[in-house]
Amino acid sequence: MRIAVCCLYPDIMSTYGDRGNLETVLRRCEWRNIAVDVTELQLGDRLMPDAADVIMIGGGGESQQHLVAADLCKIKGEAIREAVARGAAALAVGAGYELFGRFCQPERGAELRGVGLFDAWTIRENAVLSGHYGTISDAHSDRVIGELVVRWRDTLLVGFENHGGGTYLGAAAQPLGQVVSGRGNNGDGTEGVILGNAVGTYLRGPCLPKNPALADFLIGAAVSRRYGAADLPPLADDLEEAARAAAMRRAQEAARTARAKLRRSALSRAGLAERRRISARRRPAGADAVKRSGNARSGGSR
Amino acid sequence: MTVPSASRAQLGAGGWARRALAVSAGKAARRGTRRLGQGNGTTVPGSVTLAIDPSALAGLVAEIPRGAVLVTGSNGKGTTCRMLAEIMRASGLHPVVNAEGANQRTGLATTMVARAALTGHLPPDSGAIGLFEVDEGSFPEVVRQVSRPKAVVFTNLFRDQLDRYLEPAYIRALIEQAMQTLPGQTALVLNADDPRVAFVAPETTNPRLYFGVEDPGLCRAGADPTSDFPRCPRCAGELTYTRVYYAHLGHWACRDCGMARPRPQVRLTKADLTGAYSSHLLIATPATESALEIPLPGLYNAYNALAAVAAASQCDLPEQSLPAIEQTATAFFRMEKVRVAGHDVYLALAKNANGYTEVLRAVLSDRQPKHMLLGLGDFPGKQPDTSWIWDVDFAPLNGLIPAPVVSGNRAADLAVRLKYAGWAGPGHDGGMAIEPDPVRAFQAALARTPAGQPMWVVSTSGVLWELRRWLAHLGYVRELWREQTGAGTWQA
Repeated sequence: MRIAVCCLYPDIMSTYGDRGNLETVLRRCEWRNIAVDVTELQLGDRLMPDAADVIMIGGGGESQQHLVAADLCKIKGEAIREAVARGAAALAVGAGYELFGRFCQPERGAELRGVGLFDAWTIRENAVLSGHYGTISDAHSDRVIGELVVRWRDTLLVGFENHGGGTYLGAAAQPLGQVVSGRGNNGDGTEGVILGNAVGTYLRGPCLPKNPALADFLIGAAVSRRYGAADLPPLADDLEEAARAAAMRRAQEAARTARAKLRRSALSRAGLAERRRISARRRPAGADAVKRSGNARSGGSR
Repeated sequence: MTVPSASRAQLGAGGWARRALAVSAGKAARRGTRRLGQGNGTTVPGSVTLAIDPSALAGLVAEIPRGAVLVTGSNGKGTTCRMLAEIMRASGLHPVVNAEGANQRTGLATTMVARAALTGHLPPDSGAIGLFEVDEGSFPEVVRQVSRPKAVVFTNLFRDQLDRYLEPAYIRALIEQAMQTLPGQTALVLNADDPRVAFVAPETTNPRLYFGVEDPGLCRAGADPTSDFPRCPRCAGELTYTRVYYAHLGHWACRDCGMARPRPQVRLTKADLTGAYSSHLLIATPATESALEIPLPGLYNAYNALAAVAAASQCDLPEQSLPAIEQTATAFFRMEKVRVAGHDVYLALAKNANGYTEVLRAVLSDRQPKHMLLGLGDFPGKQPDTSWIWDVDFAPLNGLIPAPVVSGNRAADLAVRLKYAGWAGPGHDGGMAIEPDPVRAFQAALARTPAGQPMWVVSTSGVLWELRRWLAHLGYVRELWREQTGAGTWQA
């Protein structure tokens, strides 16, 4: 058996380990004696819809999005939509996911038109490249960074999210899964999008090594596109399962910490209100105002 | 030396009282953190001092008679500083050096507090020169404190800890903005081979000294899989390389606008990097050519030596002092050698994809199999992302590390990474042992190493810190603060 994998802009759109997704597809095919032809498409290269059983695009920053957006739309867009309509699998991660939607709005300049494969769009209030961030901490405050766990079919997908944009799905779009822990698309409980065999997601880490079920979904789709049906023999995934379990524990720990923080701040707000009421009864108005502002500061900093 | 007197004049009597109080409080905090064994006290004293007198760092640095050299960049800052410090000492200067890793505002303040007298002034020392390693993300706030640096050395800019530093383009913009505020006489010592570094802040007229590698024998056959392919700094066009040394470093030119690597004045003309422990370098400066043997392996350390020699040349240090670079002690976690139970154990920090790859390439440059503990850890809540481990070029090293022990709180992720690099497969672990606990992993790795053979620990910092605490407890290494007191010119 033989399938064709098409990587879009591997030099530009590959942030932090995205090549791990390709390596996962390659090895899991190799272990099942499925040969893989890998084509790397750069700026200007055309995509042949019949020669792409799996289309992959990784993440990148806003400057990378600016660099590829027009090429993706004009030169490759139609072929990508066509390939997916004819059963091709796709994995679009992070900035690549955003560009596979209808449009994404960057912080600088006009909105970027997307491929329009997914009925989705991304809005970014701020982005890290802007000059108005004096420090790293400022830039961080506008990003979603943390563990992400998503219910997909009968399994959980684990990963890590780090994005400045919020993605919204149109009425026709189906989310990839429901957020169990983390933020996902925009905080509405959905994560990613799925259309036929094409998946868009904010799951990184990279996404496929720790989610062999999703990797096999893509491989299976590619094989059935070629050969009508896919019967992938199961692989011993003990190391992958151990890494998944560890990721799940991390997400639980992060959720617990976040809840405790929330509880502490709720308690301190309640305590503050209580203290205010007491002091309002005891003190004359002027002194109360002074005391109140002092309390507000100490409560707020927690 | 008018700088100190000018700065003295700016503070009134009250200001000086506050400065003296801030310095004594910082010193007290320093003694306190040590006595209690709370961390290594490299940042707390500085924080205390700055809380009392926010101008203390700027004021104390301004009192250093020969000014200060700042070294920033993603990788190699600390080693470059240690090498440059040796050259400075051999030139009769007394470098004031910050402790490795204590490279943000508070760390620098701690260094200056340790150096200052209780009066709030530095002791008079006409040979004193500042030499500060500066975290690339903290560069702007440090530049605000160090008013007139003599030189700024910018080593390289790699994708590093995306969860903390975000994109390289962002860090570059941050550093560029800060460089625009430098006074015109501050020299920029820049890596010509790094397209992100060479033309940083192009509109500034500061003197520039470039360093770069020229030995054609060191270049790779094609692109390095660990490169993140930066675009042209001027037009964002595609870069072509006639030589690639490692990652995105090499002889580059823009296909679209023609911008190209500047010709370096300080050049590595020849190098023998086949040793797992040391390297032979031939470095040419405008004045001289020196054959140097540095006690560190690998191309990345050759770049560090090149940066140090370039900075020395920029500071007009005598060329006879350059061989002092050979005395550079390996600091903690930088191929630090520890003798444990009859084995030489080397501790090497690798904190990002390029660092991890280059450390492994350096240690395995003789292509002889080595016994190793490989670690991967995160800092939950602070730096939780370890996806960069997938950008480490493990595949070509398959078989050179038989039976590795994998450790750290992300050991499971590292094991999966190695499996997909071909080191293991479904249903077989390729002889790999997984032990998240660093101490137990260390014992297991040592047990797998035949008597008398060396062993390497290559890891992110968490695993190394834990091992070091344990080794210090057993008396194999000195506690970190003693180590630093010896390494710098600190006074108690």
